[in-house]
Amino acid sequence: MSTVNRPLGGTGPAIARARRRALLSNFFRRELFSRYLGSVTGLAWALLHPLALLGVYHFVFTTVFRAGRMDGRSFLVFVAVALWPWLAAQEALQRGTVSIAGYSGLIRKVAFPHELIVYASVAASFVLQFVGYVVVLAALALFGESVHFEGLLLAVPLWIVLGVAVTGLALALAALQVFIRDVEHVLMPVLMILMYLTPILYPLSQVPAGMKPWVAANPFGYLVERLRDALLEGRLALEWGDAVAVLVALAVFAGGRWMFLRLSPHFEDFV
Amino acid sequence: MTRPLLRLAGAGKDYARIDTHAGRVRLVFDLLRGRGAAHVFRALDEVSFDLAAGESLGVIGENGAGKSTLLKIVAGVITPTRGSVEVHGRVGALLELGSGFHPEYSGLANIELAAALLGLAPAEIAAKREEIVAFADIGEHIHDPIKHYSSGMVVRLGFAVATALRPDILITDEVLAVGDESFQKKCIAWMENFLAGGGTLLLCSHSMYHVQKLCRAALWLRDGHVERYGPVAEVTQAYLAYHEEKAAGSRTPVAAPAAAAAGIYAIQALALEPAGPLAPGASLTVRGEVFSPDDRVPVVLVGLVRADGTPVYGVATDMDGAAPQRIASGRFAFSLDFASLPLLPGKYLVRAHALDPEGVRLFDHVEQSFVVEGETRELGLVRIEHRWNGAPPGRSQPRS
Repeated sequence: MSTVNRPLGGTGPAIARARRRALLSNFFRRELFSRYLGSVTGLAWALLHPLALLGVYHFVFTTVFRAGRMDGRSFLVFVAVALWPWLAAQEALQRGTVSIAGYSGLIRKVAFPHELIVYASVAASFVLQFVGYVVVLAALALFGESVHFEGLLLAVPLWIVLGVAVTGLALALAALQVFIRDVEHVLMPVLMILMYLTPILYPLSQVPAGMKPWVAANPFGYLVERLRDALLEGRLALEWGDAVAVLVALAVFAGGRWMFLRLSPHFEDFV
Repeated sequence: MTRPLLRLAGAGKDYARIDTHAGRVRLVFDLLRGRGAAHVFRALDEVSFDLAAGESLGVIGENGAGKSTLLKIVAGVITPTRGSVEVHGRVGALLELGSGFHPEYSGLANIELAAALLGLAPAEIAAKREEIVAFADIGEHIHDPIKHYSSGMVVRLGFAVATALRPDILITDEVLAVGDESFQKKCIAWMENFLAGGGTLLLCSHSMYHVQKLCRAALWLRDGHVERYGPVAEVTQAYLAYHEEKAAGSRTPVAAPAAAAAGIYAIQALALEPAGPLAPGASLTVRGEVFSPDDRVPVVLVGLVRADGTPVYGVATDMDGAAPQRIASGRFAFSLDFASLPLLPGKYLVRAHALDPEGVRLFDHVEQSFVVEGETRELGLVRIEHRWNGAPPGRSQPRS
């Protein structure tokens, strides 16, 4: 066994905290800029992209498929409320998984907490997608859909719960990806399948009774239902299930972080 | 203060040896269960030393001896597999080229990242920025992405960043080899200043000159373990001697039949008289034998160089109208006297080259080392006759 003792070299509590904060904000800004905001039209893209996506969904589902009303609402708003949190989770997992490789030069030469890379990557995905979410909801409201904006009071905490769980998963996947390069390639089809198994494009009520318990067991499906309650019905009352969701998210985060911290001391040799 | 700034006790580092895909999967499981890797390469083993504040240690050794691994352990980039590391101060590390710069970002953006890595607040970073830009001295390039920099510019910026943050311990790895002459001088001047001001230095270099100039102690790593650790003069001399032995092994004179087959002029033997250390100003005789494949009289060039390769003096037989003496078919002997060598104390090499009779093409060379003993505070390579003028009458001391 080995021991490392660096009272001033980075683990002194006050210095270490200041250092983590400064680094995290630096990484976070870097992640944001490297996605949209670096280009001249950056901010415009961050807003246009979700609107363009919404337009495409409108064309496919309302114009071509002529999807009827879903649980008494237009299909478009029904999907949009659930789709953006999913996009956030999907993008965060995909980018978070490969985030370590982008910092290989730093990892090989400088000592710093590697988990900050994953936090910055996941946070950037969530922040950008949440901005898109609000833009899309506003656009839908402008077109006459009934959106309960007071529902954001519950929607924001729900996004945070989702973010915590996704961060835990991203930590585990990012650590595995350093050693086993297949992780990112397996992840894509898995996420695709999960998206269709989650009640995003359909309501849970239309799932045949025999399969309902299986689809309902999907924790992401639960968050989706709660988001629809809040933003489409304006129901803000908390449920017992919410407490369970928080506990599950924290457990996933703790498990993912444990795995990451076990593996990260060996990154230097494999990135 | 008796507590050392840096203490390594029995530190060692194993790297996992993985060649198959299944091996990687197994490694992940082993690491998750808190076990080490099954197959390892021992990069560093049983390294122990103390470094007190104000001391300077040079780490020397061949490529792959574990120098970088050692510096990475001290810098905290890797955790040792065995043993313990104690660091009681801020470590400024300048490891390899670039020391962790991001190629896509500008020099200024990288300065901010480097400062954030060291835990500086934004206000402190702003205060340091000008100082760093001034020291790096790369002009308007500071706004360009690092990937457009030359290697010398990257090192300038890296050194400027590592030093501006006033570390307690500065670790540098072979960085002095890259910058141009004037920047090297600037770095050395900075390091001397840093040491004079009580700074602690851990220097890794292949340049014995830099190690001897900047460090008081040295650690020689060989195949991951400490071959020798002690005062700098002792360790560097042992290291150079080891290299000479290795070089002598590989630079044995080309055997005459081989030289004949290859059709080259080759030095067959080289000897110095006296064989032992010389006193300053002593005389030296260089004798040797040279092979000529066509029995024509070859030209012999004898050069004196300092141990680090700096040329001191060279002269060939044809320059002086001399020629080696034929002693047998294809064998010629030469002998050269230096009546009094003005070399300053230090380690030197005699290098004998064989040239064709026209003195144009340079063939094989053979080396012999010798030492000029003595203590002096004079600088340079040779003692040049001189006299200080304007000294009080009767006290002028002409020296030769």
